[in-house]
Amino acid sequence: MIEIKNVSKWFGDFQVLKDINETIKKGATVVICGPSGSGKSTLLRCINGLEPYQKGEIIVDGISLSDPKTNLYKLRQKIGMVFQRFELYPHMTVLKNITLAPMKVLKKSKKEAEKKAMELLERVGIPDKANEYPANLSGGQQQRVAIARSLAMEPEYMLFDEPTSALDPEMINEVLEVMIDLAKEGMTMVVVTHEMGFAREVADEIIFMDEGQIVERGTDEEFFTNPKHERTKLFLSQILV
Amino acid sequence: MAYNFDWSVLWRQPYGMWLLQGLWLTIKIGLLAWIIALSLGIVIGTLRVTPWKPLRFFASAYTELFRNVPFLVQLFFWYYAGPMLLGDRLGHALNQIIGLNYYVAIFALGIYTASRVAEHMRAGFASIGREQYQAVLSTGMTQYQMYRYVIIPYALRIILPPLTTEFLTIFKNSSIAMTIGVAELTFMSYRIDAETFHGLEATTGAMFIYLLLGLTVVRIMGFIESRFKIPGMIGR
Repeated sequence: MIEIKNVSKWFGDFQVLKDINETIKKGATVVICGPSGSGKSTLLRCINGLEPYQKGEIIVDGISLSDPKTNLYKLRQKIGMVFQRFELYPHMTVLKNITLAPMKVLKKSKKEAEKKAMELLERVGIPDKANEYPANLSGGQQQRVAIARSLAMEPEYMLFDEPTSALDPEMINEVLEVMIDLAKEGMTMVVVTHEMGFAREVADEIIFMDEGQIVERGTDEEFFTNPKHERTKLFLSQILV
Repeated sequence: MAYNFDWSVLWRQPYGMWLLQGLWLTIKIGLLAWIIALSLGIVIGTLRVTPWKPLRFFASAYTELFRNVPFLVQLFFWYYAGPMLLGDRLGHALNQIIGLNYYVAIFALGIYTASRVAEHMRAGFASIGREQYQAVLSTGMTQYQMYRYVIIPYALRIILPPLTTEFLTIFKNSSIAMTIGVAELTFMSYRIDAETFHGLEATTGAMFIYLLLGLTVVRIMGFIESRFKIPGMIGR
């Protein structure tokens, strides 16, 4: 379980997060949407300690991220993250991209790590790309490798930061399908996205953020058809054309 | 009176042998100094971007000190002042070492060039996007693992072209070692001049030998570049 309690964060004088409260239960899929600059990506990075916050507390499975005794490296082993621009290691093959962390962090043997990597590549549908370099893959394929790379650490949570925003329209679905499968298998996911089709299908909760605050949250179709807040209405009317 | 060219000083004995001996010393100094420069440069360059302030300060101080003082001054400093700084006994012992000037030349050239390699490393790190670092950390790797397994190998590939230039420069700079009496290639061409008064030919010969050496280095580095190129990056 991830508990976010009264979290505020500043970049210099600018407050990017304002008193955020949210609880993400095991197995849930939470979608965060909102205009750019609303703080959603920053919130995501606070959850795995890539960004510090100045007020409040984030607790993952009972461990507080702001506790100086917390080993963030250890904590991140169970929180996978997928980035907008994939961020694969361009100088390594797909297989090396996926096996690196399991071998170095979890001390798995090469054989073991590669076996797991091939299973994951099978799962995301591109086992034939194992020995290619990222540059030779399409965007959709790269993102699926990135998902496989995260899953190789056998995380309990997965964070997605606009995973389909950098993709051509025809590649979006191949990535979303992998994510939908993951959600249905019970992975705990926090997804920053504007793919409302995805949200409708698998989200247990949808959060709308604007100017560093959670403006509105919904758990069902009601969020799309009858948003309460003006700002949410305006935003949804623009992306649900 | 017209100048009488005598190109045979380039191969006539003992002069031809002198040039070869000089070349051999130049190659040894260059290669050994490069080993120091590359390994130390990678470490210093990486320390400059680590999160620990005292280490960062040390690395910046190192870089600024060695890249802002002329190499000739550094060489004189290590050769003449170095042993004295170590105190009477140790300094005296050092001065007894045969070929001390040769070792000092390698040491001085190595740690000077390290400061330049360190700066290239910093440029390489800066050219890797912030999210790439975050992606590595998100897989649970520590700072050390992140640099060791992903960022340094990536940065080294990016900075291979300027590293080629540094590798070339180290052979050229090794000629300055003649000022402390190291009998490398330039020293030998002067020595031929002193014996035969055919400095023009000797210097021209040395010039071509340096050129060949440099072109060989370029070929080797070209091979390394194509071997380690990052697929998808332009300009290769």
